Amino acid sequence: MVRYWAGPSGLRRFDDGSTMGKAAAREHRQQRVEAIRAEQAREARRKVVLSVTAVSVVILVIVALIVVKIATGSNTTATSTPPGMASPAVVAGVTTVPAATSNAIAAGTVTSRPVPISAPALTADSKPRIVYVGAEYCPFCAGERWAMAVALSRFGTWSNLGVTTSSATDTYPNTASLSFHGATYASTYLSFTGYETTTNQPQGGSYAPLDTPSATDQALVNRYDATPFVPASSAGSIPFVDIGGKFIISGASYDVSILQGLSHEQIAAALKDPNSAVAKAIVGTANVITADICKVTGNVPSSVCTMPGVVAAGT
Amino acid sequence: MPPPRWLVVSSLLLAVAGTAVSGYLTLDHYTTLAPLACPENATINCVKVTTSSYSTLHGVPVALLGLLYYLVMLVLCSPWMWRSQLPRLAQVRIAVATLGVAFVLYLIWAELFQINAICLWCTSVHLITIVMFAVLVVGQALTSGRAATVD
Repeated sequence: MVRYWAGPSGLRRFDDGSTMGKAAAREHRQQRVEAIRAEQAREARRKVVLSVTAVSVVILVIVALIVVKIATGSNTTATSTPPGMASPAVVAGVTTVPAATSNAIAAGTVTSRPVPISAPALTADSKPRIVYVGAEYCPFCAGERWAMAVALSRFGTWSNLGVTTSSATDTYPNTASLSFHGATYASTYLSFTGYETTTNQPQGGSYAPLDTPSATDQALVNRYDATPFVPASSAGSIPFVDIGGKFIISGASYDVSILQGLSHEQIAAALKDPNSAVAKAIVGTANVITADICKVTGNVPSSVCTMPGVVAAGT
Repeated sequence: MPPPRWLVVSSLLLAVAGTAVSGYLTLDHYTTLAPLACPENATINCVKVTTSSYSTLHGVPVALLGLLYYLVMLVLCSPWMWRSQLPRLAQVRIAVATLGVAFVLYLIWAELFQINAICLWCTSVHLITIVMFAVLVVGQALTSGRAATVD
């Protein structure tokens, strides 16, 4: 009689009745089992090594990102800022005003608040839109830009903010300021368009032209930077700001003379000090503007619109 | 072969924690209940991050995506699903966790190089996602290895 053993690799035939044949079959079976177990152990080890490698790769990528950031950050500090662009210190000062400072200041030393208007909602991409029209020579625009930049930084992100100074021959000469010419603004909540219609360089009895408002935006200026929305004495004044078709600003919101003699860096640095006249004026104005922006965004984001300083400035 | 208890418990706890934090961030995005409790300095600025252009993806808030991700993970890591004999469930769990980690790496890049600010609440979600990935990947490998050597 011939006997068969069902091994892992198929049917195996052994000699019948032989003691040597049974022992060989047992030994062979044992070897096969051990080989399979060894293979399974190797496979298990391979899976563990693979999983640990995957986790290590994730950690290494994060460490690499942080290292590159630190290295790049050092280079940024060492590299001089391109002409006309705000330095990292100025941008940081404007975009990271501490909440404690904002809350302590509330409306600060604001002298003129945005005026509510009854007009069609101003929107873009289904978001409330803010239009700013000013000029680099204009000292009142110089003052307003600081507050606008602070307020808008709470709702989104600035890129390529420029720096400029007001005209050397106008009121409050050479007032240091930011420039919205060439700057971009990205936000989930708002759309912003800024026009600097001229530079601060005299040209033919006026100043060299820079940005040209679109026909639609120029129509906004013509319509709302005029009586009865603003007093006849300030009709046509810049800066002109339209906040979502619900509020307008015409002229400066605070006494810009406080910025006289200060550099961009000094102004930006002063914004975190709740006791400085600069912060009281600029951050106070920013809080007032923020409160009105919150009215057009439906009080979102809550992290901005429920800031005690913004709430207080809006009442 | 049932998964080890530590794997079931830790993955469930991480999914619950991730759901809670991403839920808070989503709530902050949509409501006016309270501002994000977050320190603020030159490096850490939650508002700057949560209001940046990177806070949405094709119009969908990233916070909401995070909440949906963790709700899916909550289901996948529930004790019932760990006991389930559904085919390919382990692979689906790992695939979702890998997707989460990939998105976290993108968000970390955005915070470091585009927004130039760190949001602590977002970072805690990132950390939970990475630990979740590590727990699932290593746990799954150990479990399948153990099952293989026992069979």
